Amino acid sequence: MTLDDAIRLTEILLGFAFVQQSLEHLVANYAERLLFSARLLLAVLLIIGFQTVWTSALLLLLGLLMLLRFQGPYNGGADRMGLLILSCLCLVAIAPTQQWKEVAFGYLAVQLVLSYFISGWVKLVNKDWRNGRALRDVFQFSAYPVSESLRRWVAYPRLLLLMSWAVILFELLFPLALLSTIGLLIVLVVAAVFHFANACLFGLNRFFWIWIAAYPSILWFQQRFVIIALSH
Amino acid sequence: MMRRCFREDNNKTVHRMFKTVRLLLPALIPSWNFFDIIAPSPRVQFALLDSEHEMPQEWREFRPRPDHVSILQMLGRLFWNAKWNESMYVVSCAERIMEQPTKHSEDEILGRIIGDLNEKLLNSLQESSAYLQFRLVIVERQGDDTHQDIVFYSRVQPILTAP
Repeated sequence: MTLDDAIRLTEILLGFAFVQQSLEHLVANYAERLLFSARLLLAVLLIIGFQTVWTSALLLLLGLLMLLRFQGPYNGGADRMGLLILSCLCLVAIAPTQQWKEVAFGYLAVQLVLSYFISGWVKLVNKDWRNGRALRDVFQFSAYPVSESLRRWVAYPRLLLLMSWAVILFELLFPLALLSTIGLLIVLVVAAVFHFANACLFGLNRFFWIWIAAYPSILWFQQRFVIIALSH
Repeated sequence: MMRRCFREDNNKTVHRMFKTVRLLLPALIPSWNFFDIIAPSPRVQFALLDSEHEMPQEWREFRPRPDHVSILQMLGRLFWNAKWNESMYVVSCAERIMEQPTKHSEDEILGRIIGDLNEKLLNSLQESSAYLQFRLVIVERQGDDTHQDIVFYSRVQPILTAP
């Protein structure tokens, strides 16, 4: 995948993620509707490829306004990932040379890898995650489970222990996927399934769409740097 | 006088810029420590009052989760999950209040409850009540059981004048 292809694919996927988010706000109050209508329009422009540099810059500006409006992200990590992708796209656009463009877009790929690895690491060093207690807490009393019936999963500690270690190992070993082209594709599919499960169980639908939008960067990064380095 | 106004305007602009950078920085250099610890979890409960000085009698949970969500509903929510995401934002505001109460977070929660009342989602409760108050209850684990504590009471808000 060339840098230009990866950037274009990122713009399209990000556009769709923003359309999905923005539509959800069109039933909110007037001020919110106004902000997100503008975002919806810009997201459509990004998808069709109209003046993508200016469109990305305006989307970033709108993102800053939203941070001020909500005094922080509306949807935590999903909003932050959206801003990170937008910032990288804007940096790519203003980068003076091809090398700096690659640095800016490579930063997104590195952050994507870190998003899994660090999440796995902070769980591994926590005793409650290692013995399954933390995931039981998530189901027992956190705000995330989408239904009361899911809270009853707390009665299956062995299953939750297994799930805890599956998540920890998957997140920690994610960077190793960079070593193989096929391996990375498989791991990205598994990662998407992981986000899909989070969307179903905890209602985190925006994470699913926005993390997928960052995947082209890692596909490009692997071909541009890792595979070349390994072949030498 | 004009110079002082100019300086105050400048200070406000600098403050706003600093605040924007402070809000943007975690997106540019993220920590990615998702679910590192499972902190005590806030619940928003509200009471409807007939008068400003009435003592709340009955507290109700704001948007209690349903007993069951079907697979089909979960799939649909992948594309449209507006209410749930708004509820998660309310939880964020509650967590911010637990860290440090701000008028913004209090207004946001009051506004969302009033929004539901206006949408008639809670019309069976509204009746003739003119005022609203919410409180935050934190749920945490103690041993194998969960324990609840009330940590915050909002101001009493007239329902007709949303914050």
